[in-house]
Amino acid sequence: MPVLLRSILLSTALLGTVSSLAAGQAFVRDVAAANVNQRYSIESISLGGVELDRMEPAKLPPSLRVRLMALIGQKCDMAALADLASEIRQELHFRSVTERLLKGNGPDMVKVDFDVAGGGFAFEVNVPKLLFTSQERATGELDATVAFRGNRLMVGAVSNGDDLIERFSGLTARFDSAALGTDRLHASVAVEDYREQWNIATRDAVASESDLYRSRWNVAPQLTFAVAGPVTVSVGASFEGMESETPGAGNRSANAGTLDVRYGHKIEGGPVQQRIEAKYSLRLATRALGSTYAYARHLISFKYEARSGRHVASDTFTGGAISGDAPLFDQFVLGTSTALPGWDRFQIDPLGANRIVHNEMSYGYRIGEGMVEAFYDAGAVWQGGRQPVQQPTVLRHSVGFGYKQGIFVLTTAFPIRNGRVEPVFMAGMNY
Amino acid sequence: MRNRIPVATFLLSASVLCGTLRAQDLAVHLDGDYLRVSLPHIDFLQGKPLNRLKDGGSVAFMGLVTITSTPTSLTPIARSGARFALSYDILEEKFSVTKIGQTPDSRRSQSHLSAQQAELWCLDNLGIDRSELPADRPFYVNLDLRIEDPRDQFGIIGDSGISITRMIDFLGRTGRGSQPHWLKSSGPYRLEDLKRIEIKGTRG
Repeated sequence: MPVLLRSILLSTALLGTVSSLAAGQAFVRDVAAANVNQRYSIESISLGGVELDRMEPAKLPPSLRVRLMALIGQKCDMAALADLASEIRQELHFRSVTERLLKGNGPDMVKVDFDVAGGGFAFEVNVPKLLFTSQERATGELDATVAFRGNRLMVGAVSNGDDLIERFSGLTARFDSAALGTDRLHASVAVEDYREQWNIATRDAVASESDLYRSRWNVAPQLTFAVAGPVTVSVGASFEGMESETPGAGNRSANAGTLDVRYGHKIEGGPVQQRIEAKYSLRLATRALGSTYAYARHLISFKYEARSGRHVASDTFTGGAISGDAPLFDQFVLGTSTALPGWDRFQIDPLGANRIVHNEMSYGYRIGEGMVEAFYDAGAVWQGGRQPVQQPTVLRHSVGFGYKQGIFVLTTAFPIRNGRVEPVFMAGMNY
Repeated sequence: MRNRIPVATFLLSASVLCGTLRAQDLAVHLDGDYLRVSLPHIDFLQGKPLNRLKDGGSVAFMGLVTITSTPTSLTPIARSGARFALSYDILEEKFSVTKIGQTPDSRRSQSHLSAQQAELWCLDNLGIDRSELPADRPFYVNLDLRIEDPRDQFGIIGDSGISITRMIDFLGRTGRGSQPHWLKSSGPYRLEDLKRIEIKGTRG
């Protein structure tokens, strides 16, 4: 079956699913909006019968507490309460959370109680990410999560042909601890075990077959500290090993210290809601940790988003540099579903590069439950530093449009080349 | 005698399980240009849905009236369906019902109702246009009334993707038919024999 036809069939199937689910969600909202109690104001909110201001701080995440407290005095929005019940269930690992209304003491006032059941343990299986493209790349993930007493253990299976030069498939596990003494401090450990598949272009371009690995594994402990409001800092290590494809070449390692600094801030209240997100990541592989590779990988990203009524505009900038000799999985790539979509990454650079700049501008217009979006991407990857220049640095562009509904996304991207238009279709969720 | 006990038990269980389908006559009449149905001893607001309403939540009902040529036909000659959102005013202790239409203009509501008035209002708003009824042959009228729990749809899709556990739970409950469900048929009728009752108001 031709790729284009397969993509169209896939997109049609996904669009059918999206519209069916959208109709279901719209119906849920219609039913909630018709609730006669919406005209009353909320006098107080309790969780399991305990009023919020009497609840111990450790029992409710601060962000959730702030959102719940903000509802007091507001009209009783049943859809918002149902959303919050779902969020409380997920955050606090209850089997079920049901919102109940009770008569308030004041006139036209009601009390809201979130009735909880089955606390302390939760089990969930999720499909967090799916992506199909007309370039015959498929990516998917399946996770099983057990949550208990604020801790979370996730075991997953993944096959990813989108993010890196290689396709990596295998198992992942991650443990996230409950707050360690203070709400601001959390610990986590991630374990990954992947098998690799290489594109023929990468095989042809690689200087030595020993640079290709058939499998890789990683153990990455991390401590995350919420420094102040919008800033969090994560410090950790990554013990990553690779089994070479070349017999007798032995295993290689890229053991590194890691640092992530995140900033996130929302400006609300005016006619334009704004969101600013910034992130800096450092991966410092050193022989002091027994690493075969020694390098420093820096990556910064910045995103600004403005929403007003039905309009959403955003700009995302990414820049990165690697000094030293990094393995292929840490090289920068363009031509993914999110960075210069539509381009073939193997035509851009089949080995990835140690420098990257990328910018995406997008504009979306909300229609009903969904959003129609157009975007313009520009970016370049190249070899900098003391690396021999293999290809000239070229700034590439792509444009496209798409439709988003919740987590579902359909996109058509057009890489801008000289005189040729080859659209690439992408369909999936959370990519 | 020993062999009869299981049969008796089965019949007793079936009669209990089908309690909601007890012998209620599905009455049919013409109201202006519409065929409408009514149940003299209607009582579908009970059990969990009623508790949910008394907790201030919403409960959705889906009603479907079909016209068929035989009592067992699966292919309707005409059909009319509607979705209703019910809620209970916890301060005034009265029911409110909204017929959810395809467009905001087609939505209509009624409040300050008793449970029975709310139930009757739902049935009164399930009409089939008289022009769709067969004029030259007898037909049967079927009523299918079921609860659509809007809460079931929450949580399957969220920021963390598609929840397989919630989907299995949702499909399992749908498959087990745990949602209350009422089915009733009556007939045969002839169009010219139908009783005419004029009820003022804008319905469809």
